[in-house]
Amino acid sequence: MSEEVMVRLDEVSRVYRQGTNEVRAVDRVSFSLGAGDFTAICGPSGSGKTTVLNLIGCLDRPDEGRVFIEGRDVSSLSSGELARLRRDRIGFVFQSYNLIPVLTAAENAAFVLELQGRGREEVRRRVAEVLAEVGLADLGHRRPEDLSGGQQQRVAIARALAPEPAIILADEPTANVDSATADGLLDLMERLNRDRGTTFLFSTHDERVMKRARRLIRLRDGALEADTTAS
Amino acid sequence: MDSLFITKTAWRGVWRNRRRTLITLSSVAFGLLLSVTFTGSADYAYTNMIDTSATMGMGHVSVTALGYNRSPSFAKVLTGCGRIMAAARELGVRAARVRISGQAVFGAGGRSNDGQVIGVDPARETPEFNVFIRKIIKGRMFTPAETRGVLVGEVMARRLKLAPGRKLVYTLTDRHGEMVSGVARVSGIFRTGVIEADNGVVLLPIARLREILGYHQDEASMVAIFIADQRRSGPVRDRLVSILGDGEREILTWHETQADLAALIAMDRAGNYLMQFLIWLLVAAGIMNTMQMSVMERRRQFGVMQALGMGPGRIFHLIMTEALWIALCGLVAGALLTAPPYLYLRNVGLDLAAVIGTDYSAAGVLVDPLLKVRLFPERAVFIVVFLFILVLASALYPALAAARTRPLVAMRHR
Repeated sequence: MSEEVMVRLDEVSRVYRQGTNEVRAVDRVSFSLGAGDFTAICGPSGSGKTTVLNLIGCLDRPDEGRVFIEGRDVSSLSSGELARLRRDRIGFVFQSYNLIPVLTAAENAAFVLELQGRGREEVRRRVAEVLAEVGLADLGHRRPEDLSGGQQQRVAIARALAPEPAIILADEPTANVDSATADGLLDLMERLNRDRGTTFLFSTHDERVMKRARRLIRLRDGALEADTTAS
Repeated sequence: MDSLFITKTAWRGVWRNRRRTLITLSSVAFGLLLSVTFTGSADYAYTNMIDTSATMGMGHVSVTALGYNRSPSFAKVLTGCGRIMAAARELGVRAARVRISGQAVFGAGGRSNDGQVIGVDPARETPEFNVFIRKIIKGRMFTPAETRGVLVGEVMARRLKLAPGRKLVYTLTDRHGEMVSGVARVSGIFRTGVIEADNGVVLLPIARLREILGYHQDEASMVAIFIADQRRSGPVRDRLVSILGDGEREILTWHETQADLAALIAMDRAGNYLMQFLIWLLVAAGIMNTMQMSVMERRRQFGVMQALGMGPGRIFHLIMTEALWIALCGLVAGALLTAPPYLYLRNVGLDLAAVIGTDYSAAGVLVDPLLKVRLFPERAVFIVVFLFILVLASALYPALAAARTRPLVAMRHR
C-alpha cells in the first residue's frame, strides 16, 4: 500500500431496521486503502461486502462511524456533493455491466466525461484511449446488445476508467461471465493497476479474484474478520 | 453535460420502444386533427352565419340613430349619412350601404301581412351585400328607374297571392308619427329559407321611402358597413367612433345588432372547446401513462446514472427532452395527417344537405349545409402551442418520479 490514503473507514456501521428487528449489515468496520491498491473484500453472502462498497461509493450513508475519500469526510456532504464526488473521484463496475442500452460503447465510455462537462475533443480523445486500453478500439460504434458479456464489462471498465477516478469499485465484476472471459477481465484490471496505478477495490466471492488480489479483507456477519496482504 | 448528448440520448430513449412511441404519436396526431377540424369547421360556420346575417340588413358594423337598435322606428332618424359614408371609405371597408328600415303593414287582394320594410338604393345594392337580392327566385331586382318597384319574400307572396307585376300596398308611420302609405309593383320574389325573412321582409327603393317618410337626402335609418373579416368589427367600430364621435348616433357591431346570433355562437364555441378539452385530457392521460411506464421500466438505468454522478436535475431534463421530442414528432405527424382532409374541406367541403336539409336556420340566419373549414392563423398557433405545452405537462410527473429515483433502491430492480 502506498503512503497516500485514498479511502479510510473509521468504525463504520450500517444498520437496517425493520420494525423491532435490527440488522447490522456492517458492524464497526475500519480499514484504509492506499493509492494503487488491488484489494478484494470477500465473505459469504450477507457478510456486508456490497454494503461496504456502497458506503465507500457514497451511495449509502453510515449510521455510525465515518468514511473518508482522499481525506474528505463524506458524512457531512449533501446529496448533490456526493453525486459530484461519485462523478469525479469514484468509478463503478457493476456485476450486471449496467450499460445504457441506447448509447454505443463509445458513448457509454464517454458518459461520465459528459457529466463532467468536458470538451468534445477531449472526450473523443479520452474515449479512444480507454477503449484501446480495454481492447475495444474497433467496437466503439456498437450498442451493448451487440456485444458479448465480456465486451460489455470491458466497456463498463472503460467508463469507470475514463475520468481517471481516485478508486474503481467493482462489485462482483466476474459473476456474469465465463471463466476465460473472467480471466481476461482480471488480466486487464491488473494491468491497469500496474501500469496506471489505478486503485481497485473488489467485492467478490470469486476465488480467481481473491487469488489475484494483493490484499484480502474478509467480512463475516458485517464485521471485519481478517485483513491480509498476499505475500 | 453537453446539450447535444442529452438531446441525442433522449431521442434514442423515445424510440426504445418503437410501437409504444408510434401509438403515443398517433394520439397526439389525431388530437391535432380533431382540434383543427372542430375549430376550423366552427370558425367557418360562424363566419358564414355572421356574414350572411350582415347581408340581411345591418352589416358587420351599423351606424344608426340613438336607440334605434333597441326599438327600430322611422322616427329615429340618422343624419349626416354622407359624412358617415366618407368615414367608411376612409377606413377601407368592403362596402357601406345607406338603408331605411322599419315596421310596416302590407296588403294585397284583401289580405294583409305585417313585417319589415328595408329601403335600398338599387343603383348601389349588389347581391354580395344583400341576401334578399342574392336569393331572388322569380322576377328580378327593381332598377333605379322603377321608383315603385318592390321585392317580397316567397312566403308573403304566397299569403298575399303576389307575383311579379302584381300590386302591393304598404302602410307605415312616418317620422312625425303620421300614418302614410304607398303602392308598389312586385318586380321580384326571393326565398332565403328563413321563414321570418321570407314572410316578413320587403325591399323598396330608398328614394321612394324618403319621399313618403319625409326624410331628407342625407337621412336614413342606418349605414350598414361590411368588412372583409368579421373579427375586426370591434376595431372598425372604435375607429369610426374616433372619426365621427358618438354624439347623436350609435355605432354597433354585429354582436349587438345580432345579439341572438352572438349568444348562439358563444354557446356553441364554449361547447366546442369543452369537447376538445375533454379529448385532450384523454390524450394527456395516455401520454402520462406511457411516459410513466417508460420511466418505471428504466428505474434501474436511472439508478445507475445517478450512481455514476448524474444529478436529479439532469435526469428530469432528460425525460422532459424525451417529452419534447414526442411533442415535436406528434405535431409533425399531426400536420401530415391533417393537411389532406383540411385542404379538402377548405376547398371542396362536405355536403350535409341530405342530413340537415337546405333550409336549416339558427338565430334567424340560414346555415350553409356545406361543411367547410377555415382555420384562422392565430387559432392554428394557439392549437399547436397548447398541444405542445400539454404534452410537456403530461411528462412532468414521470420526469419528477425519475429524478427522485434512489440509486440503491433502483439498482435492485431488474
